[in-house]
Amino acid sequence: MTIETSFDQLTEEEKYEHFLARIDAGEKIEPNDWMPDDYRQSLIRLISMHGISEIMGALPEKEWVPKAPTLHRKLAIMAKVQDEMGHGQLLLRVAEDLMEPLDMNREDIMQNLFSGKLKFHNVFHMKAPTWGDAGIIAWLVDGAAIISQSMMLNSSYGPYARALKRICAEEVFHAQHGESIIMALAEGTPEQRELLQDALNRWWTALLMFFGPKSKENASTSHVDKNMRYKIREKTNEELRQEFFTKYVPRIWSLGLTIPDETIHFDEEQGLWVYQDPDWNEFKEIVTGNGPQSKERLELRKTSYENNRWVREALNPAAKAI
Amino acid sequence: MAQDKALVELLYTLADDDFILAYRGSEWLGLAPHIEEDVAYSSINQDMMGHAAKYYHLLEELGEGDADELSHLRSPEKFRNAVLLEEKNGEGTYLEQPQYDWAFAVVRNYFYSIHKKFRMDSLRQSSYEPLSDTAKKVSIELQYHLMHWETWFKQLMTSTDEAKRRMTAAVERCWNEMGGVLSLGPMAEEMAEKGYIASEETMRTKWLDHMKKTFEQIGADFPGELGMTKGNGRQGEHTEDLTQALETLSEVYETNPKVAW
Amino acid sequence: MSEKEKDGFYSVYEVFSKKTDKSPLQHQFSLLAPNEEMALIMARENFFRREPVADIWVVKRDNVRVMTQEEKEMLKRLDDKDYRETKGYGYLKKKWRKYQQEQFTEKNLLSSSKSKGGSK
Repeated sequence: MTIETSFDQLTEEEKYEHFLARIDAGEKIEPNDWMPDDYRQSLIRLISMHGISEIMGALPEKEWVPKAPTLHRKLAIMAKVQDEMGHGQLLLRVAEDLMEPLDMNREDIMQNLFSGKLKFHNVFHMKAPTWGDAGIIAWLVDGAAIISQSMMLNSSYGPYARALKRICAEEVFHAQHGESIIMALAEGTPEQRELLQDALNRWWTALLMFFGPKSKENASTSHVDKNMRYKIREKTNEELRQEFFTKYVPRIWSLGLTIPDETIHFDEEQGLWVYQDPDWNEFKEIVTGNGPQSKERLELRKTSYENNRWVREALNPAAKAI
Repeated sequence: MAQDKALVELLYTLADDDFILAYRGSEWLGLAPHIEEDVAYSSINQDMMGHAAKYYHLLEELGEGDADELSHLRSPEKFRNAVLLEEKNGEGTYLEQPQYDWAFAVVRNYFYSIHKKFRMDSLRQSSYEPLSDTAKKVSIELQYHLMHWETWFKQLMTSTDEAKRRMTAAVERCWNEMGGVLSLGPMAEEMAEKGYIASEETMRTKWLDHMKKTFEQIGADFPGELGMTKGNGRQGEHTEDLTQALETLSEVYETNPKVAW
Repeated sequence: MSEKEKDGFYSVYEVFSKKTDKSPLQHQFSLLAPNEEMALIMARENFFRREPVADIWVVKRDNVRVMTQEEKEMLKRLDDKDYRETKGYGYLKKKWRKYQQEQFTEKNLLSSSKSKGGSK
């Protein structure tokens, strides 16, 4: 996009038109470029939630890190949870750079998490009581995450697209790590199969909820619309959920597992999966911090953050100068 | 080669030290003072557990049993790790109210890594070739651990008063048990005579010399005599903390050790 | 000392790396660290725990002069500078043919010539 006069002399409307034209031309927006305030706000909302969800997402799985059954499983799940922290790092950096002009940094992100202002994905509010959950999380929750993340690989915001590219590459390892755990359980003893089936039963509704509500009445679909206009995302919640079914339902069935929804089937005429819609009021309850494990997880994060504050204070260069 | 008790004991010492400390490190995952550090620390724990796995495999080759069983199902008194390395990270558990002590994590890992370096220097010359081969590989990854923990140790030891106070307390605590880490147990002499590893005394001197230099460099008081107050892990003496650790780490595996996981 | 302060514990460091000795230096991602030693040890595992790496640089972001969108306009230019591109010298091919010689391409100009005699 070439402009004929100095960019700074454009009116706000002209800047906005120029910005939209850049996006439509497939150009990437970079942190120091001009961007409309609601684009910045949309990105901050989306990416800080995504980033903090990775950090909170480490917690249910980390419960199984010390307990993983063998040396190999212990190593693999450590690497997997480490990646979640790493993804959180990459994403929070993107969000923090967007927040910098608003004079906010990671400290604000953490405080917003603790106060409930910053939400994290519904799945990470759930309990993970057995090793079977570790398998289902890595297989299906990560599977769902890959679907929703890969639609943003072409995001108009350059730093987000670059972070996602790296994240998705690592997610492929996660998916295989998950498959490896569930395969061993599926091919194991009746007790092992039961671990797996129980975990699937526990996680199914949460997995459907993961993609968000489909109808306008149920959700802030205005965010979805806006994010699509700004080419931050490419698909609707329901399109993503359908993709998830197409990818995973046949696999779940092929292992002889039962999906806890008797109605689920592929409707040839509509070309869509028909399924039992979860209770979206419950979803709202969960993401607003009233899920089965919400309080405990937040408490754990907060305890570790506050308990280690002295370390950050000790190495603060400003503190040392005094 | 015929079963050699001194060699087997040494391999358990090496394996259990790395395994138990890596286990304690894995409890920290997700709870470190800083997200970037969480990622870095986890790599070190993975490396250490990987090193432990190599020693367990050497024991497997010597007919001691399956590596997973050795690491997960032995009773506490069969473990040969030093007591310092089994101690809890702090009050609470990794699941609830973890009042974990980062100063203790830094000092324990720093002291151990320095000792591990001298150990590897010696083991690279070991008369038992599979062990010297392993030591060569382990030495490669150890370089990063040394740099990482030295940076943390020196920076926190020279920062705020609060940090110095916490670090000094952690130094004192680790110093009181470090004797156990530097010990090779009742068969130490035989291990040295057979050329498996250098003598206890040699490695102890090297470690102390290194520490003297470090403390001098950062202007900290050098602590007194090394201690071993809670027992010698090399002869199977351990604390409740090890029992708890083994219960946790074998919780899933022991439900059925015969099947694939 | 609040953790919100700009030059505090949460300072931004940009990370650059070389994959092998022969690779060019490339920007990776950024991280938060209190000083450059910490930035370096954390960069190692945050960004290179899988891929090979031969060298890592960390630079405090405050020390990088970046461009504004206005300034990026100065990166544009007209595509009328054939005289400094090889495409402006394509006519030489025909000329050399007259002398029964080939025009040197980038390839044979840059590679040490294996003498194959003069003309074809």
